[in-house]
Amino acid sequence: MKKGLRIVGRSVARAEALAKATGRARYTSDFKRGDMLVAKALWAKYPHALIKSIDTSAAEQLAGVAAVMTAKDLPGRNGYGIMVPDKPVIADGKTRYEGDPVALVAAVTEEIATKALELIKVEYEVLTAYDDPREAMKDDAVLIHPNHPAADKGNLLTVVKLDRGDVEKAFREADIVIENYYETPMVEHCYLEPDICIAEPDDLTGGLHLICAQQAVYATKRCLAPVFNLPHHKVRVSSPIVGGGFGGKEDSSLDVAAVAGVLALKTKKTVCFELTREEVFRTTGKRHATYIKHRMAATKEGKITAVDVETVLNKGAYTSMGGLREPAHAVTMRTAAYAAGVYAVASAKARSYSVFTNTPYSCAFRGFGVPQAIFAVECQIDELARRLNMDPIELRRKNILRDGDHTIYGQVMKESRGLGLEECMDKVRDSIGWDKPLAQSAGPVKRGRGFAVFMYGTGIPLLFEGASCFAVLNNDATLNVNIASTEMGQGVMTVMAQMAAEALGLNYEDVLVSFSDTGRAPDSGPTVGSRSTVMVGNAVLDACRQLKDRLLAFAAKPFKADPRDLAIEGGKIFVVGKPETAESLAALIAKAYASQVPLAATGVWYPPQPSFRAEDGQGEPMHAYAFGAHAIEISVDTETGVITVDRSVFACDVGKAINPAAVEGQMEGGAAQGIGWGVMEEQVMENGVMQNAAFHNYMIPTIKDLPDLESIIVEHPNELGPFGSKGIGEPPIIPAAPAIRNAVWDALGIKMNAIPLTARTVLAEIQKNGKA
Amino acid sequence: MAVDIKFILNDKPVELQVEAQEILVDTLRERLGLTGTKKACGTGDCGACTVLVDGEAVRSCILLTASVDGKKVLTIEGLGTVENPHPIQQAFVDAGAVQCGYCTPGMVLTAKALLDKCPNPTTEQIKEALAGNLCRCTGYTKIIKAVKAAAKKN
Repeated sequence: MKKGLRIVGRSVARAEALAKATGRARYTSDFKRGDMLVAKALWAKYPHALIKSIDTSAAEQLAGVAAVMTAKDLPGRNGYGIMVPDKPVIADGKTRYEGDPVALVAAVTEEIATKALELIKVEYEVLTAYDDPREAMKDDAVLIHPNHPAADKGNLLTVVKLDRGDVEKAFREADIVIENYYETPMVEHCYLEPDICIAEPDDLTGGLHLICAQQAVYATKRCLAPVFNLPHHKVRVSSPIVGGGFGGKEDSSLDVAAVAGVLALKTKKTVCFELTREEVFRTTGKRHATYIKHRMAATKEGKITAVDVETVLNKGAYTSMGGLREPAHAVTMRTAAYAAGVYAVASAKARSYSVFTNTPYSCAFRGFGVPQAIFAVECQIDELARRLNMDPIELRRKNILRDGDHTIYGQVMKESRGLGLEECMDKVRDSIGWDKPLAQSAGPVKRGRGFAVFMYGTGIPLLFEGASCFAVLNNDATLNVNIASTEMGQGVMTVMAQMAAEALGLNYEDVLVSFSDTGRAPDSGPTVGSRSTVMVGNAVLDACRQLKDRLLAFAAKPFKADPRDLAIEGGKIFVVGKPETAESLAALIAKAYASQVPLAATGVWYPPQPSFRAEDGQGEPMHAYAFGAHAIEISVDTETGVITVDRSVFACDVGKAINPAAVEGQMEGGAAQGIGWGVMEEQVMENGVMQNAAFHNYMIPTIKDLPDLESIIVEHPNELGPFGSKGIGEPPIIPAAPAIRNAVWDALGIKMNAIPLTARTVLAEIQKNGKA
Repeated sequence: MAVDIKFILNDKPVELQVEAQEILVDTLRERLGLTGTKKACGTGDCGACTVLVDGEAVRSCILLTASVDGKKVLTIEGLGTVENPHPIQQAFVDAGAVQCGYCTPGMVLTAKALLDKCPNPTTEQIKEALAGNLCRCTGYTKIIKAVKAAAKKN
């Protein structure tokens, strides 16, 4: 690791924070103008139905209506999706969930658009709607996608298979087998900024500009150009700062952009399509609900010898990040790959089934399936500790992956990429006072403590993995860095500026990062998978290195020095060890500019090519991992079932914290979402219809639901990460839910394997177990 | 039905004719161009649209504009600027309490209403005051730190 860092590793204030705190920062919705047309969608009345007829004539005649569109009116392909173009812009003959648009309207005001929707008449033939993938995968289930490339498997989209070692032998020879069935809920991202797209036809080029809050401008361009029947270079996609994404705005952004885009092309006017909160709940992507049968074999000494895991994922209505083929299984692949969690296990069998239903499509959501897989493993190992009467942290210590160990998918763990799990465990253990028993009172409130750990691979081993950027040095020694990543609150503008300033010897204030615009930057990849700091950061360093090399080579002559003896720092260039030689960097750049030295560079970086074999799930999909350990103390009121989280101590190995305050922000926010997932959040579906589509009945943690969230940063550097860093955006959500479940068992002596652990479910279990 | 109203908005008098059913957040954002007030739920549940009316934190997404007739309204734009931020705004920045920022204007104004009445709040009082403002990014830990730091500066 580099010594003497000036800017990297410091908690500099966020570049855009003051603009946000004063209300000056503009989000997509703040660019709306009165002369734009307002779009509205007529959503499917029935989540699974055949459309027998649509009559839009009355709506078309309403004054102020600019366009009414049904599937027959589209300019290009009626299908899009990150992996497979199976989601229609407008339902054509069939609805598959309540978020399918059946018709679209653009009008001069929202009131007229809403009135027009009421005038559209649709006749349906209602089909059975499936909420549960276990029902939808039965042989006699109605096919949701009769013409899908995967339709020969019924409603089963894909199966990921993973096989390693001799599982049957390991279970035969096991001293102890732990077998359980776990359930995790479908949940909504609940970013505060509702989805929105403003689509502007570009009369100069004949193209289209989509201004759209989102996480993946290049993916949007690739996915939607065929929908608009436009060549890619005429589709410009940009995103102002984003009011939260958490994975959702990799997908829901396609939904709003497709609608706004086709209406803009139809009307030749600028069109705005903004979802209401209820529409966000009912129509956008969700976290995959999972149903996990987990068997774990171990010796009586506590060594885990095998896992045998079957996971059924609720895919919802469309493929999204579900994955159809190798290696692009995305979420489904991770539920198999992480089936043994952080542990070195010689034999493993995992099968993950991704099944279509009539719920909203399941997509990326902070953690990409790893939270679900780790939930099961961390509950299993806690039970193993109880059965063996061992300390749960010591049992984990015996089994964790160490340098040279293989994961169940065959990846070799390397200390050189940073393996800081054990340090995280020890720091959390000490900080929470694990060895001191919790004080119990005589009343109805019982207290408990739980522990869980995780690992999470940096990046997305999908079709490709890598990043590009532009960097331009200006004559006043300032730098523009243009990336296509999104600023959605994680701080990408800030950490990229910190890394670029460090690399080029500039002041932090002298670097400006532009973001998420296909018109300004090359493809940095989507802003997902905890990948930006590492992938895009390396690309930024690559560009800065090129610029620095050119400047130093140019300066060698006037300085009469070898370029290797020159340094740039704080806007000056000088011979190392001779501060009296210092000259203004701006003056040097001006001379270089006049001497035909190119001052712009394209930075690129690719990690080792990921692999994941279809036959047996073996390969090297990840290049480095973040790790973490989480201890949680809870109180359960045995009269009401209410769980209160009293204390949360969380340590994460992030390789190198480029901006420690930003890392803590990710850890605290992730812990909060993990606690919400564990005790309160659930999208309740009934025959494809959401039952709790508002913030007063879909609960997320408020400030009163959370304790002070304690964060400990651990740094085991990753040789491939910029300044040693690893991705930390998503992983903090992972361990809270199993830690809470283990704490509930500690408090009540009751095992509960289905989250969320709401007051109602906890109370029912207490009463069932006669422990009230 | 149109209604004529007069009120003080960010220390300046405003006279408007609005529809009786017009909602304050829409008046602020669409009619007056004050887009710092955010609309995130439209049902009064999340607090992102919070403004102060006569010093009280209210949800502008469920408040009729006509009802602020004769009152004083403070939006985030009236509290401070990038050049001259209010101490609460600066405290949110310094504490790292701003991530995506969509909840921030509402949080800052709710914190102002609290600190005006209760200059040295306890953690419990801060939690009570901010319980109606949802944040999905921060886990609230740094928001509590920011409010405490702002209280100390006052």
